[in-house]
Amino acid sequence: MSILIANELMVSAKLGGDLVPVLRDFSLTLEPGRVVGLVGESGAGKSMVGRTIAQMLPPGFAVTGGRLLFGGRDLVRMPPDKRRALLGREIAFIPQEPLSALNPVLTIGQQLDEHLRRLGLATPRERRARALDLLETVHLPRGASLLRQYPHQISGGMCQRVLIAIAFASRPRLVIADEPTTALDVTIQARIVRLIAEMQERDGTAVLFITHDLRLAGQICDQILVLYAGRPAEYGPARAVLTAPAHPYSRCLQLANPPMSGARRALASLPERMPGLAAYKDITGCAFAPRCPNAVPDCTRGAPPFVDVAPGHTAACIRTAATQAIAAPALAAAAETAAGAPVLEVSALCKNFLVGGMFSRSTFAAVRDVSFVLGANEFLGVVGESGSGKTTLARLLVGLEQPSGGTIKLTGQKVVHNLVAGQSAHDAQLIFQDPQSALNPRRRVGGIVTQSLEATGIASREERLARARSLLAEIGLPPETVTRFPSQLSGGQRQRVNIARALCATPKILIADEIVSGLDVSVQAQLLNLLIGLRKQRAFSMVFISHDLSVVRYLCDRVLVMFRGEVVEAGPTERLFAAPAHPYTRALLSAVPPDDPAGAWTPARFEPDGARL
Amino acid sequence: MWLPAWMRSARVLIGLAIVLLIGLAAVFAPLLAPHDPNEQNLIATLLPPAWLPGGEAEFPFGTDSLGRCVLSRLIYGARVAMAVAVVASFGAMLLGGVLAHVAGYFGGRVDWLIGRVVDVWMSFPPVILSLVLMVGLGTGLRNVILAIVLVDWTRFCRVLRSEVLVVRRRDYVTAARLVGFSHWRTITREVLPATVPLLITLVSLEMGIAVIVEAILSFVGMSVSADTPAWGQMIADARQYVYQSSWNLIFPILAIFITVFGFNLLGDGLRRTLDVRLTAVRT
Repeated sequence: MSILIANELMVSAKLGGDLVPVLRDFSLTLEPGRVVGLVGESGAGKSMVGRTIAQMLPPGFAVTGGRLLFGGRDLVRMPPDKRRALLGREIAFIPQEPLSALNPVLTIGQQLDEHLRRLGLATPRERRARALDLLETVHLPRGASLLRQYPHQISGGMCQRVLIAIAFASRPRLVIADEPTTALDVTIQARIVRLIAEMQERDGTAVLFITHDLRLAGQICDQILVLYAGRPAEYGPARAVLTAPAHPYSRCLQLANPPMSGARRALASLPERMPGLAAYKDITGCAFAPRCPNAVPDCTRGAPPFVDVAPGHTAACIRTAATQAIAAPALAAAAETAAGAPVLEVSALCKNFLVGGMFSRSTFAAVRDVSFVLGANEFLGVVGESGSGKTTLARLLVGLEQPSGGTIKLTGQKVVHNLVAGQSAHDAQLIFQDPQSALNPRRRVGGIVTQSLEATGIASREERLARARSLLAEIGLPPETVTRFPSQLSGGQRQRVNIARALCATPKILIADEIVSGLDVSVQAQLLNLLIGLRKQRAFSMVFISHDLSVVRYLCDRVLVMFRGEVVEAGPTERLFAAPAHPYTRALLSAVPPDDPAGAWTPARFEPDGARL
Repeated sequence: MWLPAWMRSARVLIGLAIVLLIGLAAVFAPLLAPHDPNEQNLIATLLPPAWLPGGEAEFPFGTDSLGRCVLSRLIYGARVAMAVAVVASFGAMLLGGVLAHVAGYFGGRVDWLIGRVVDVWMSFPPVILSLVLMVGLGTGLRNVILAIVLVDWTRFCRVLRSEVLVVRRRDYVTAARLVGFSHWRTITREVLPATVPLLITLVSLEMGIAVIVEAILSFVGMSVSADTPAWGQMIADARQYVYQSSWNLIFPILAIFITVFGFNLLGDGLRRTLDVRLTAVRT
């Protein structure tokens, strides 16, 4: 019998007096022991599904149609106390942010104990034995000492393992994993996903795996449901959805994802973005039609019906036959790296931080002995996991931190960047990771992008306005954006403004610190293509810091791999991805799910001192 | 018609109305007051308000022990109260705000030094400190204001510093430095606009506090000279005749109460509508 059946489920929200359906025609059948992937970009309504099952909808949201059955019982009309009895026992959740899901003032042991008590284990001795047992099943060593530790004392990956242990403690029939690995490093992601699969197979649990990563879903899911603007776009066997997508949106998502293997190809960049909740009521016909390369006038007449393209594989599109014809644009010839003197020379760069309190000071080396050169018009990728010193390196390069040792030479001159002393390095500009925090919410876009003119104080108002308009045109934003505030822009548009501000100073080097990591795949593709275009028009070099290897492979000429503050491997992108020399590089590369869902995903381990999890 | 959020808040509007009313009374005191506030009428002392038996229409709120018109003295008393409220709170804001921005923005030793000065300053009981200052400075409106500024700047400094620290850590402040903004420009163009809402809120609350402090000082005779009517002074005068005429005590207390209530209402309303952390919840 199916564990979960959703039948034309509809969830609506009260928005400005109107009742707007935010989840429509959602049908899904989840069999025991199966993993169904729920894939889509942010705002597609993925989390709404999980929240509906838990009946933890935000205020103003309610189920307004269809049915949601769990083991034959109606979840929507179930009395709250009955539902509470199900949650945490038969239905369990694995959250996105492991650190914020655990209570910081209680030990791991106390939190496990509390959950086990709720499950009905009477004696403390029994609960302790079971807790140790659970930690062992999620492969956490030294369980007894772990029980006494607080969440902040262990890593994010370990926290997620604890949460998985809690989720599977009651042998639930359904587990909802809401982006369980998004906040984790790629090598840890691989192990967490493998652990969920292991637990799921052991208990025959059904898993609803919510993710934005199509490649990851292809590896671990039996079936995939692609959501777009609150309505399923495609639903079918994972392999079929990835290898032969029937809906143009699935196809475009796939083409927007930079490949990890094979030839470099250009990324399809979808125009615009997914409509927001407020725009749902204006949608007539297919919500994807305005962005769809295959759209015909018929697409705007009524919501597209669900068409069977193969047994068990449906797509909400009237032109499924044409989907396979969508191809990525031709790859533009890569801009040549200009020969000549290097723009940036870094040698033996070190940065130590003092850590600890008043009595136990020790130094922590965030960056150790890093040396590299950056040629004119060259894009250099810096990859590594969190804590590898990437961001410290970026801050050193623009002078936000003082090096503890080594030199940075910019265009042949040794520079002592010192912002504190009032000298700034105009030739090196930083693009920040979080566009929300990097743009002053109280200033208009026009003022933000021309800040470097404001700093000199010689440009007139008209000059600045003209400059702002030309910069916005360059980064692909309409001229009327000049008078907008950052809060009126989308995440991708904000990141464009961020780039424009850095470009206004006409720097020789851009330092980009994880600038696409918070963005959706289609927006990420737009930005990557923008950077490639800009590189051709303006000659600049870039240090592109990212944890996403596929993005670095697409964009950069050379790659530095950092591990605990040190460069463990450096080389041309093609060579490094094809034949990684260092075991850490190999581990990083193997941790990324392969493009082909049938391809083997065998993440290698690299643990120099055996303590990492 | 579109109005900014703070103009639509009932608290702000009521608070503003009270404050404006008292402010107008202070400005137009010579036109509004029925009598000279110092004019004594010794045959009509301790008269009750006009609506009570024995009251006279000539003195709507009655007279005090020297036969002076209570209403006129209340209206003139508003002048001292409002002058102190406005000037002292702006002075405290200026001193505390500048130090807060310097401490929060530059951090390090500067922050440490300013923080310790605030600590030491705040460990003095505020009333004693202001009395000591008044003794040292001598009476007079200017010295009352100075005393309040010197006592209350720490309140601004402490609260604002923590706000500056938060804003300072935003990437856009770093970004402004990277494109070549000077420290001065970074503080005025990037940090200050984010702290202004808190600044406005604190000022309006401080105005209420300043009214109380002035009343305390004039109550003990350490504020303006005896020929300038002040609410605290009126309370002190009426205290001796509280059994004969309690009204003389009640009116100045009500005046202080309403004024401070107005300022607090205004401050609370502004805080609710201007503070991004409180307004962001609506989305």
